Amino acid sequence: MSGDKINIFPSRGAQTQIKARLAGAVKGHSLLKKKAEALQMRFRMILAKIVETKTLMGEVMKDAAFSLAEAKFASGADFNQSVLQNVTKARLKIRSRMDNVAGTNLPVFESFEDGVDTYELTGLSRGGQQMGKLKANFKRAIELLIELAGLQASFITLDIVVKTTNRRVNAIEHVIIPKYERTLAYIISELDELEREEFYRLKKIQEKKKQARDKADKIKEKLKAEGLLKELALDETPNLIDEHQDEDLLF
Amino acid sequence: MLDSLFNIDCGYLEGLVRGFRNGILRQTDYLNLVQCETLDDLKLHLQSTDYGNFLANEPSPLQVSVIDDKLREKLVIEFQHLRNHAVEPLATFMDYITYGYMIDNIVLLITGALHQRPISELMPKCHPLGTFDQIEAINVANTSVELYNAVLVDTPLAEFFGECVSEQDLDELNIEIIRNTLYKAYLESFYNYCKGLGGTTADVMCPILAFEADRRAFIITVNSFGTELTKEDRAKLYPTCGRLYPDGLAALARADDPENVKQVAEFYTEYRALFEGAGNNPGEKTLEDKFFEYEVKLNVNAFMQQFHCGVFYSYLRLKEQECRNVVWIAECIAQKHRAKIDNYIPIL
Repeated sequence: MSGDKINIFPSRGAQTQIKARLAGAVKGHSLLKKKAEALQMRFRMILAKIVETKTLMGEVMKDAAFSLAEAKFASGADFNQSVLQNVTKARLKIRSRMDNVAGTNLPVFESFEDGVDTYELTGLSRGGQQMGKLKANFKRAIELLIELAGLQASFITLDIVVKTTNRRVNAIEHVIIPKYERTLAYIISELDELEREEFYRLKKIQEKKKQARDKADKIKEKLKAEGLLKELALDETPNLIDEHQDEDLLF
Repeated sequence: MLDSLFNIDCGYLEGLVRGFRNGILRQTDYLNLVQCETLDDLKLHLQSTDYGNFLANEPSPLQVSVIDDKLREKLVIEFQHLRNHAVEPLATFMDYITYGYMIDNIVLLITGALHQRPISELMPKCHPLGTFDQIEAINVANTSVELYNAVLVDTPLAEFFGECVSEQDLDELNIEIIRNTLYKAYLESFYNYCKGLGGTTADVMCPILAFEADRRAFIITVNSFGTELTKEDRAKLYPTCGRLYPDGLAALARADDPENVKQVAEFYTEYRALFEGAGNNPGEKTLEDKFFEYEVKLNVNAFMQQFHCGVFYSYLRLKEQECRNVVWIAECIAQKHRAKIDNYIPIL
């Protein structure tokens, strides 16, 4: 895993580019971490609510089953069959909609009643009151079930999203950022080396120039010691006002 | 008829019924049952009663529905044995008793047929005491008109259909209204038949049937508050063979809430007592419980007189109530909800 960096030509421009990318990655990392924390909190809330609803569900179902027994006792006859045979379509229906929570879409179920109570008159002559209680109890049980279903669906979705977000946070933290940092370090080291090379080159050139100048100076000294006039004459800058015998210029 | 003449034809059967009646569970039996912890305990206690080993062949774990079925099966066997040995007029009397179950079965089959359920599914759900020969033929009819013309006309229930429910009604009316209309016609016909028999039978049966009629009127009224049943429709469902006819029924038809119903009951001493202690709060007996108790009392008193057909009707009703009691106790035990386990109706 280590030792990997982006292959890019080390230059000043590249360095600023990588620096910018690194800053972006760091910012993204902190934002994602915040998102992960918010989702985690919501997740825990839903978990607590699921546990609570499930225990409540147990009690409600128990009550509902008991009210069924009461209704059977009071009505005498077997109303089970007449109810079962009369069923045509569902009266309690669910609408699902997506709720946006910290960037994720969680399903939410809403129940609504569609249609009239066709069993209003069941138990008209026997056990009508118990029938009413029974209907109310089971309706409550269904509504609780719907709530539980919504909670469990969001639980599963949130679980996946939390895992993904955490994976991304870790990836940025342990892979992307070190990569940029290594690249940056490499660029800086390369640039330093180039500078050093330049510096060395400059130094060497200066040395050579110095050597050449020293050599030329020495020769001058020698010539000076031997034939002065020529040198002087050569050395002196010619004067315009002086009267020299200039050679004739022939074109 | 003279008592001695009754004994010639029905003496054996009356003796049999009285023997069965002595086997009805007593208060001590109920106290034992209430203390059971599991359904197997219940089975054990039932073995020492008249029920004997009726649950012996059932695999464990025992379920309440199994107990329910077996109890009913035993009752049906007893009743059919009695019916098979009966001669006129007891035979017609016992047939009248079965018409009530027939009505329930037919209503069930009509509903099933309307929703295209196969008849083989529905047959096991019918009450065994309410079968008649043409019952399977209901499946043949596709519409209710056909049903009426082809099948129902031949059954003993034809007259009940004829009086109140016409062919068009079968389609439109809510099935419960059909059921209650049929039952009203049935009650009135039964009442008239008993009156026709005269003698002790009439003395015993007419009050019982009158109470049944009034009870239905009260309960229909109370249960119809808050539903879409109009007052006129409601009034058509009241059987007229009770003590409430005609004034009480007219007053009930006008009633708007339970208070009005109670006021109507004030005029009749027995009913006033029943409405007195009833209420919907937990801990009080409901109105229906009180009605059950009163019915049980009337039925037990039927055994006080000899040489009449009423004992057969009373025996059936008492046994049914006993079945319901045992199933109630079994359910309370099975669901571990012992708070209301004492809400059964004590018989003897």
